[in-house]
Amino acid sequence: MSDSEEDIIEGSGDEGEAMTASEVLQKLEEAWITERISPTLERHQSELVDCMLDQINQMTENLKRCKKHDFRLAIHKMEIDRIRYIISSYLRVRLEKIERFAHYLLEKEANTTEESLAVLSPHEVAYARDYISSLESHFQSLVLQHVPENLRTFDAAKMSVKPNMDSYIFLRAKQETQGVDEEVDLEEGSQHLMRYKPISHLLHSGAVTLI
Amino acid sequence: MDATEIEFLAEKFPITIVPNFAQEKLYLISGDVGPFNPGIPLEVPMWLGMNLRQRGKCRLVIPPWMDAEKLAEKKEEESQSKVFTEMPCEHYLVVAQLLLSAAPEDIPNSQQVKTLVKDMWDLRISKLRSSVAEFIKIEGTHAKLDRLTLLEINSIRPFLPHAFDHLHRLSKAAYTSKLSQTQEL
Repeated sequence: MSDSEEDIIEGSGDEGEAMTASEVLQKLEEAWITERISPTLERHQSELVDCMLDQINQMTENLKRCKKHDFRLAIHKMEIDRIRYIISSYLRVRLEKIERFAHYLLEKEANTTEESLAVLSPHEVAYARDYISSLESHFQSLVLQHVPENLRTFDAAKMSVKPNMDSYIFLRAKQETQGVDEEVDLEEGSQHLMRYKPISHLLHSGAVTLI
Repeated sequence: MDATEIEFLAEKFPITIVPNFAQEKLYLISGDVGPFNPGIPLEVPMWLGMNLRQRGKCRLVIPPWMDAEKLAEKKEEESQSKVFTEMPCEHYLVVAQLLLSAAPEDIPNSQQVKTLVKDMWDLRISKLRSSVAEFIKIEGTHAKLDRLTLLEINSIRPFLPHAFDHLHRLSKAAYTSKLSQTQEL
């Protein structure tokens, strides 16, 4: 069996810094928790997902070469199941949010020029577009084409759901930050209940984590 | 989040085991584990420790805080203190639950430990509930929740954040209507 720890993954995440598989897993787990809790869709982490999928495939290949009753087999399989659970839960949560906020997200996507700030991955953009067009054609065939012409206009922008950025979330401070939301000082390691909006930039810079 | 997800997160924390078998180092994706030698204690992730224990391949070394005497002291401290005290383990309830269900015979005074952990949880949760009630009454907009463990925080979710969302919405609505009134005058 090859040593998966020695595979260093280049260029995923932190400005081309090399990360080990366990660090990538750690990051992915954080992204998963954040995505589960955050009221809106966070920046996509497809490099982390792809990297972990590669690791899983590699490990599965290696395991095929193992003897059937090898002691290690069950343990490695269990770990793969655990990682797979994180990945699928993470992607599922994202898809749910994409469906709910499809219009809003695509609009936001059109306004972002920098690729590193993109919230949706290219696949997710395609998914959101497909979803909207299916929804609209569904409305068309079900109702709109049967009503008088002057009622047929359908304004998707008006109907779209936006995430509530003011919703309250629990967070833990990783670094000391002062004067958040004008009056609150976050000490390192302290836990708070606050609105999402004033701390969203801290979340992106990694100064806080959602819990 | 779901309580089962919290349990999942807790399961990656380390626990010490004493294996009864020999095995070379394991190269897991999440990090290396081992080597295993009979009778030599080592740290493994909780999920692995539980699995090995269920297969009768090791003995669990119970974390030092899971001791009836220490827990009784801790409980006393918690009931005397007005604020939340520091817990010996971030996932104390989950860890206790897992260990007690997987290997009650490895734990000295397991019944007593079980009751004490449960008492501690009840104490802290009732403290949490009364502070939440007080907090809503004084109409705060920001809460500090130091020393609360993940599972405890989760027990007031989604209730507390939602309550705050509504309060925020109401105060915003009140503010805008006041603003429009002053503009009319």
